[in-house]
This record gives sequence, C-alpha cells and structure tokens, in this order.
Amino acid sequence: MAHAVEHEYTTTGLNHRKMLMWVFLGSDCLFFGSLIATYMVYRGQSLVGPYPIDIIDIPLTTVSTFVLLMSSFAMVQALSATQADNKRGIVNWLLFTAFLGAIFIGFQIYEFNAFKNEGLTLGGNLFGATFFTLTGFHGAHVTLGIIWLVAMAILGAKGRLGPDTALDVELLGLYWHFVDIVWIVIFTLLYLIGGFDAGPSVMPGG
Amino acid sequence: MATITSVIPRPTSYAGIWGWMTTVDHKRIAVLYGVTAFIFMLIAGIEAGVIRMQLASADNDLIAPGAYNQMFTMHATTMVFMVIMPLSVSFFNFVIPLAIGARDVAFPRLNALSFWIFLFGGILMHVSFVVGQVPDAGWFSYANLSEKPFSADRGLDYWAISLLVMGTSSVAGGLNFVVTIINLRAPGMSLMRMPVFVWMTLITSLLLILAFPVITVGLIELVMDRNFGTHFFVPSGGGDPVLWQHLFWVFGHPEVYILILPPMGVVSEVLPTFSRKPLFGYPFVIFSGIVIGIMGWAVWSHHMFTVGLGPVANSVFTITTMLIAVPTGVKIFNWIGTLWKGSIEFTTAMMFALGFVALFIVGGLSGVSHAVSPSDFQQQDTYYIVAHIHYVLFGGSIFGIFAGTYYWWPKITGKMLNETLGRLHFWLLFIGMNLTFFPMHFLGMNGMPRRIYTYSAEFGWEYMNQLASLGYVVLFIAFLVFIHNVFYSRNSRRVSHDPWDAPGVEWSIASPPPPYNFAEVPQILGRDHYWIVKENAEAAGTPITEPEPLVDPNSIHMPSPSYWPIFTAVGVALIGGGLLSHYALSFVGGAIAMLGAIAWSNEPTTAPSDHH
Amino acid sequence: MQSSSNSNRSTGRRSSLKNRTVLFGLAAALFLFAVGCSKDGQSTWEAFGPVAQKQLDLFNVLLWVMVATFILVEGVLLYAIVRYRRRPGDPKPPQIHGNTSLEIALTIIPTILVLALGIWSVFTLFELQDPPEGGPEPLQVTVTGHQWWFEFEYPDAGGGKKIITANEMRIPVDRPIEIALESDDVIHSFWVPKLAGKLDMVPTHVNRMWFQADSDKLNEDLPVTLYGQCAELCGLAHALMRFRVTVMDQDDFDSWVAAYGAPPTISDKAKKGQQLFAANCTLCHTIDGPDDPALSASRLTGFLTGGDITPVPAPNLTDLRTRQTLASGITDLNETSLHEWIRNPEDIKPGNYMSERAVMYQNGPASLTDEEIDSLIGYLLDLR
Repeated sequence: MAHAVEHEYTTTGLNHRKMLMWVFLGSDCLFFGSLIATYMVYRGQSLVGPYPIDIIDIPLTTVSTFVLLMSSFAMVQALSATQADNKRGIVNWLLFTAFLGAIFIGFQIYEFNAFKNEGLTLGGNLFGATFFTLTGFHGAHVTLGIIWLVAMAILGAKGRLGPDTALDVELLGLYWHFVDIVWIVIFTLLYLIGGFDAGPSVMPGG
Repeated sequence: MATITSVIPRPTSYAGIWGWMTTVDHKRIAVLYGVTAFIFMLIAGIEAGVIRMQLASADNDLIAPGAYNQMFTMHATTMVFMVIMPLSVSFFNFVIPLAIGARDVAFPRLNALSFWIFLFGGILMHVSFVVGQVPDAGWFSYANLSEKPFSADRGLDYWAISLLVMGTSSVAGGLNFVVTIINLRAPGMSLMRMPVFVWMTLITSLLLILAFPVITVGLIELVMDRNFGTHFFVPSGGGDPVLWQHLFWVFGHPEVYILILPPMGVVSEVLPTFSRKPLFGYPFVIFSGIVIGIMGWAVWSHHMFTVGLGPVANSVFTITTMLIAVPTGVKIFNWIGTLWKGSIEFTTAMMFALGFVALFIVGGLSGVSHAVSPSDFQQQDTYYIVAHIHYVLFGGSIFGIFAGTYYWWPKITGKMLNETLGRLHFWLLFIGMNLTFFPMHFLGMNGMPRRIYTYSAEFGWEYMNQLASLGYVVLFIAFLVFIHNVFYSRNSRRVSHDPWDAPGVEWSIASPPPPYNFAEVPQILGRDHYWIVKENAEAAGTPITEPEPLVDPNSIHMPSPSYWPIFTAVGVALIGGGLLSHYALSFVGGAIAMLGAIAWSNEPTTAPSDHH
Repeated sequence: MQSSSNSNRSTGRRSSLKNRTVLFGLAAALFLFAVGCSKDGQSTWEAFGPVAQKQLDLFNVLLWVMVATFILVEGVLLYAIVRYRRRPGDPKPPQIHGNTSLEIALTIIPTILVLALGIWSVFTLFELQDPPEGGPEPLQVTVTGHQWWFEFEYPDAGGGKKIITANEMRIPVDRPIEIALESDDVIHSFWVPKLAGKLDMVPTHVNRMWFQADSDKLNEDLPVTLYGQCAELCGLAHALMRFRVTVMDQDDFDSWVAAYGAPPTISDKAKKGQQLFAANCTLCHTIDGPDDPALSASRLTGFLTGGDITPVPAPNLTDLRTRQTLASGITDLNETSLHEWIRNPEDIKPGNYMSERAVMYQNGPASLTDEEIDSLIGYLLDLR
C-alpha cells in the first residue's frame, strides 16, 4: 500500500487493484444477497414472537442510517482531499468517516442490546436469526472498514497519502460506499417494509 | 510492520523449503496445487475402493453403515473440492500467465495465499478422521439430517467449517484470475484472440466469485444452527430444510460448470494441436461457454425435482435444463469439426482429449434424461445419477485434466511423460471407467438407490455391482501406471521448447520457463499466435528452432517472494480450527490474519533489496 | 488428400486393432443392455400402474433419442478419428476455421429437439398431477417417514374407519390412491418404482402424489406384493428402510379393514407375552388400533429431545400378524426372524432406535429368556 502509483501495463488501462475491488464487491453482493434472500423467505414464518412490529424502531434506525450516509459523504471528502494533496484534510476526513462509522456501530450495539432485552434472540425465532445474522455481518463489514480507515489515517498522518497514492483511498472509498449501499437495502427491506410485519395472530389493521 | 522484515528478512531466493513456502511464482504455485490435489485424489480413490469392495456382494459386512456413510461423503467432498477444483486451478496457475503473454498473475501474493488456505483447509477437513468425527451426511449434506440431533458429533462441523475455509481460497483465486485475464493480456491479444482455455478460465473464475458466496451463507447458517441455536433449517423452530437445498444448489449447479469448463478448455487446446488445424468454430465455442456460464444459474432446481416444488417450478427447470444441453452440444460438434479433415496424431494427450469427448457425450446424454422431470422421478437418488455424475466428472473432468497433464508436462518440466506408459494409462483408465460406471445406469433403472451400504440379493443387482467393483481394480492399476510414469520420466531426455508444434504463445519460450516467463512481452498477432509466428518465419526462410533466448533474470522486475501469504493463511485456518476446538484459537487466528494482511499491504510487491 | 484405398497400409495393424476394440465395445454394450434391464423387484422397466407407465413411456422415447444421438455423434467422432489419422508424409491439413451455416443448423436443430421433448414432458408432468376425472373414488393415505420405517395412516379406510399401520401398505386394485407424504424427523423419500416415481417426505411440508395399481398390468393373481424403498439418505439405516405395497381386490381389502383392531384371542402361552409387551414395549409401540395423537406427539418429543429410555415413534403393531415382512421390509416375518429381531435388533438393523432407547436393550441383547421371547411372539403373531 501507499507506494507510488504503479505505472504497470494493463490491457484495459484500469488499475489492477481497482478492478479487483470492483469484482470483489460483485462477489460480496451475492453474499449479502443470499442473507437477504434468507430473510425474505422467512418473513412471516416465525413460530413465536417477538415480531418485527414489536421490535423495529424506525425513527431510531433512521438516525443511524443518516449517520452512515453522512460517513459516505465524509469519505468522498477524504478522497477529494487526497487528490488535492491536502494533508490535514486527508487525515481529518478519514478520521471523521471512521468516527461516523463508529457512531453507526454504536447505534447497532445499542439496538442489538435493546432487542435482546425485549426478547429477540438468535435462537428464539426466525426473525431473530435472520435479523441478527444479516445485520451482524453488515456490522462486521463496517467494523473492518473502520479499522482500515484508521490505518489509512495513520498513513496519512505520516505523509504517505497524496495524489500519487490516491488510488488507495479510492479503493477504501469504493468499499465504504458499497457497505453503505448494502445498508440502504437492508434498511429498506428490514425496517421500512418488513418493520411492520406482525405475528400470525394479529388481524390486518390491528 | 516493516520492522518485522528486519527480524525475519524478506526471502529473496527460490532455494529450499523456505523458497517453496514463500514462493509467489505462479509456476511453482501450480506445482504445489497439482501435487497436493493428486495426493487428495489418492485418498479419495481409496475411499471409493472401500465403497466398491463393500458393494461387491449383497448383504456384505465389510464395513459398518456409519463408516460407509463417511466414505461416500468424504469421497465426493474430497473429489469435488480438493481434487478436481485444485487440479484445474493448478492449470490456471501454470498456463494462464504464459498463454496471455504475462509474467505472472495480477496478484502473486494473493495467489500464494489461495494455495496455502486450500492446503490448510483440506488438512482441516481430514483432521476429522484423526479425531474420529467424520462428516457422513453426503457431499451435499441435506438439512435436516445435517442438523442436531441427527448428526450429533462434530463431523458436519468439520465439513462446513473446512469448506468455509477453502471457499475463501477459491474466491480469492477467482478474483485473481478475472483481473489477470482481463488486465494482463499482452498487446494484440484482444478477447477474441484469447486461447479457449483462457476464456474458459475467465468464465469459471466469474462463476467462482459469484457462486461461492451463496454456499458460504448456507454453510454459515448451518454452523449457526448446529452451534449457536438458530433454526435456519431446523423444522421445530420454523426452519425449512428445503432452503438449504436451494442455497446449496444455486451454488452447486454453477459449481459443476466450474468443474467442467476448464477441462473443456484444455480439450479445446489439445484437439487443434494434434489435428494440426485451428479449433473449428472458435467464436461459437466461446459463445457457448458464456451461455453455459449464464444459463447455469437458471437450472439449479433440477437437483430438487423430487422435493415437491410443484409442477410449475418443475416445468420451468425442465425447460431451462433441456435448453442448456444445446450449447454443450455446440461444443461437441465443434470439437468433432476440429478433427474433421485434420491430420490426427495420437499422442497420449490427444487420446485423453478424445476420450473426454467420447465419454462426455455419454454423460451429457444421461443428463438430458434427468432433465425431463417425470422420468427423473424414477432416476433421482439412484445409481443412474451416480453413473451420470461419474461420466461427466471422471470421463469428463479427470480425462480433460490428464490430457492437460500430458500436454503441458514438457513445458512445466522440460521432459515428456513416457508415451507408451501414457497409452497404457489411457486404455486402463478408459476401460476401467466404463466397466465401473456403465453398469450403474442399469443398476439405477433396476431400482438401486444411491447411498446404501448394502442391498439384498433378491433384486439381482449383484452381478452389475461386481462388474463395477472389478472396474475399480482396473482404475487402481491405471493410477499406479501413471504414478510410475511420473517417476520413470524424471530421467528421460530433455525435449525442445515446442515438442508438439503447438499454437499457443506459451510454447515460444524455454521449457521449463525462466522465472520471468517472457524476456520481451510478446506482440500477439492473432489467434493461434505461435503458429502464425512459425509460419511467418518459415515463409521468410528463417524457421524457428529455438525458444526465446534467456536473459539475466536480475534485469527483469518480478514480484519478490513473501512469507505473509502463508502467515495469513495460518491465521485463516486457525479461525476455522478454533471454531472446531477452542473459540479462543479463532481469535488468535483472526489476529494473525489481520496482522498478516496489514503487514502484507505495507510490503512492496518487489523488495527494495531486489534489483529494480 | 490420399485415397481411401491406402488407408490400411502401414497403419493397417493399428486400425484393425481399433476396429476390433470398437466392435468389442459395442458388443459389450449390447450384452449389457440385454442382461442389464431386469424386471425384478424394484426395477423401473415394468409399470403396474398409469403413473409409472407414463413415466416409463417418456423414458423409453428418451432412451431411443439418446441411443440414436449416441450412435450418430460417437459414430461421426470415431469416423473422424479413423479417417483423419495422420499418416507419414501427410501435408498440413486445410486450416478450416468454421462454417457458420453448419453452426446455426447444429444449434437450431438440437434446440427444437430439446424443446419438443421438454414441452412434451411438461404436459406429462401436469397430466400426472391428479387422478383422471370420473374414475373410482380415490383412497386417501398419509405416509409419514420416520427413521427408519414407514407409517401408513388411512383416515378413512372404509366406512369411516381409521387405520394406522406400518411398513406394509395395502391398497385395493384399480383405484387411485392419493398419498400425502410427511416426515417427523429428516427428509425421506417414498418410492415404489413399479407404481410411480418417487417424491420426498420433508419435515414441515406435505407433498402429494397419487398412484394406482391396474389389474390388467399386473400379470399375476392378487394379492401381489410390490417393493418400495426410501430414496433419500436419512441416516445410519437408510439402506434398510424398505417397505411393501400389497395390491388386493377391494373385497379382500375391506375384509382386512374390518378385521383391523379386533381384540385378539390370547392363548395361555401368549398371556405371558401380553404382560411382557405391556411392561416393555408400549412406551413406543401401539397394539390396539390407531395411535392416539397425543401419545404420538409425546413419543416424537421424546425422540427429538431425549437420550436413553425415552419414547420414540415406533411402528404400530396392531396387524403385525397379517404382515409378510419385518423391520421395514428387510426380512420375511416368521417366528424365527421375529425371535432373532427381538433377541437383538442391532444385529439385523444396525443403528435402530429400539436397541438404542428401550430399557430391555440397555445391556446389548434383550434381557429376556428364550421362553419369554417365544411367548411374546405368540402374543404378537396372534394379533389381527
């Protein structure tokens, strides 16, 4: 990482590592897709509660979603600072992105704990299993991203990031934006749509 | 982390065991994959032998039912994930950079990582034998037999976790080869000038990276059910066992194309070489490979015709499966077209390629009868399916891989495998294969289900089973002949850089190739580039008799060896191993893997101490 | 291009060896076809009912298509190999790159062929969904798969009478049997090759199929016994999870229904057996009619959660005396085999739950004397 841009020959003109990141993200789509498919298949199939409507708190999660979206904005700024060779900007924006990501994770931890206290567990019902597995793996992706962001910020503080090494920041940015987009999908499906799912004994409209 | 290299210096040479452990050279990694996979093949072959000995007579009691279930589970799991796939990857590794005029793959250290993770994952799977808790629910481990309380010991955990570990290796490899093939082709090698083997590798690599995540999720959900109390596939908690089947087969069907497309690519290289004419219908062969890669995602539930999905679903998958026979047929016709009006030389490589075509036709046809769901209702889960599987995977993939072995052996080693022994190997394998697996078509139609450790004499299955078990003995001897050939040929005389007068650019350099492959990156003149080069040289009155001259390796910028790949792989393997023993070990493994990844990314591709 | 009259010159020996090999291979294949297609026991080559018949008809067409394609394509391949083999001094062959019209033809023709076969099979699929309209009233049977035996429940076997039996399914001839398939533990598969293709028994699902035995296809006098076997790996004793289907005329079937569950006449010798049964076997086995649903549920719970000495779902033994086989179709039922079974089931069916869970088998073979086992058999085989 963080050495001069390789002037190596590539058939398409695209850098190898950028191509690798794109292909990897394509692969990761299938990973999240399968977890989402499991959730969708099991919607409404939980034998016992608590059911989404008892647990899901859309207002709260809207805040954390907003925070994550803002972190993507911060990431864009970080890349921009790198390309402009703004050393302080690089470090600050990278750290700010990581900070917002950490806030998101904080919300997730709070939420997981709150749900657990309300009786939603991995083994309790299918909603618990699918919810925690899907959002858990997403959270793990965010956490890895935060570690990467901090590592990059350290490199930035040492002066090793700049227009020559903007690709490294761009790759991190691609990953971070992907993780954000996956969250948008999860938020839409599990919260905005699925969040109103009730158990079998509840009549529609009541 | 760079300070670690002052404690343990970054390796710089190829010498000794340390040289092999730290290699990032695709040619060496190919050898590592090939040897490892071959050893696993011998193990899986012994497992097959136990199966055949048990089934050789009715009401046999050579082996207990539990052990028998372990045998067929491990035989198939090993053959699919630890033999055919890594053998194909061995060829990807050796051939692809050479065939596209590159000096290595796009990510040499990632390449090494893939191998080491595969090795450790395969070992982890076999540790199950050491601890006496061996997977025994079949190679696709249907839920909910795979769940507790029905599979109470750790066998299924070994199965799932080892596959998860090996899956990361496959995805990493797939990613590497996609970037390599798209981005490292020599100037002049447009996509439609790429050798067919390169195309098939590209499609396979795309299938790898898209299919493995699906089974990864399935395996994670299974492990969570078994160990963390979830009910993804557990009926008592609302789970549906059929979801496992969907997740498995959405992966599983592209997986079988992953298993067959590379050998089809090999055959597409060998047939033209020994017919002395170009592949017939190149664009159609390529296009049919692409179509198979795409349509392979639309047929998965033909493995589930008897699960009760209903007539609408069964109809859809019947039609899609029937349609996928068409591009497969197109390839076969084009292979025959390559032979037509050619000048065929029966080297061992060619015989295996021809054997592939002949046997794959049988396997493909039995597949067509499976596609028709009403008839599949009788065939499913019987020996008819076992026959189909082995015709396409043994007669298909393994024959294709042997064709590639004999073909590229002189390029890898500078010597040829003995042709007489090779012919003997071929005929024994061909006869043995047919003797073992053709009777199984009849056994299936005569009502013998698969995965049964014994059967009653009253059904008249004994005779066919004896034939099949006799066939195994022939196959066993065939493998002994091959092993003998490998050792016998070590002292044979060196051959030229281009013993077959072949079309691929890999034949233009020395055998074995120098570390840097090409002294000068070639300018590709067309499909079958080296044939064009040789023709042009002949026409100019200066025929080519020598390979590209060697140059001082130090004058060429090559990636340096590194110990971070094997180090990181140890971490990944420990994550898996920890899940099977003490969770603390997983955290240690995670830390090691993360440390390895960070150190690796801080390490330049080429060490500053290395020249240039 | 050399004329074909030269083709047997210096390579004559090799080509005749190849010809001989090919002929041998063909002869072997024909021999296998002649010998290999048996009509015994579980073979699919013989159909005794309309469902299996339609499936076999479809397969027979496919078979001919496959054989014809095989002969055609392998024939062309072999011809090419022989005709175009290199002879010394051969020039470089014409460097043909392809033939677009041939490619298009060889894409379109197979597509039409596979679509035709595919569409025909879709029609067959839908046709086989339900018994034909206007025929006799179907008989309903619910088949539940257990590790490692088959439970047959007739909600209304005749006159509103409910019957639960195991391992031998009796059906009246010339009448559609509508089957609901379930499982209480893992996935099993219900397969009677001579009547129909298989369908899986999946926990939490109810899969439905039907079949019928036709008197004009069965070329023997009734009752005729057909073979069935579980066709989905379901654990240790999967290989030994078999069953029988006995086809009877409607009258004989009705007699069986009427006699089911009638209180037995117990000889003096069998009285001891009755006591032994009540003391050792009733935790899992029912012997006096259909299983009580609550009892079945508790046995299932015990099975799924318990360890030693917990109840498990076990075959209903009410009409054991009328059965021909033992231990889910793996051996004939007679006093000797039943004695061996009771003495040590693990010898006959390794992995079975009776040996694993019943108190009587805590120390391996049954803790009963031979006389006790004999009286138990006397009781069991007196049952109707």
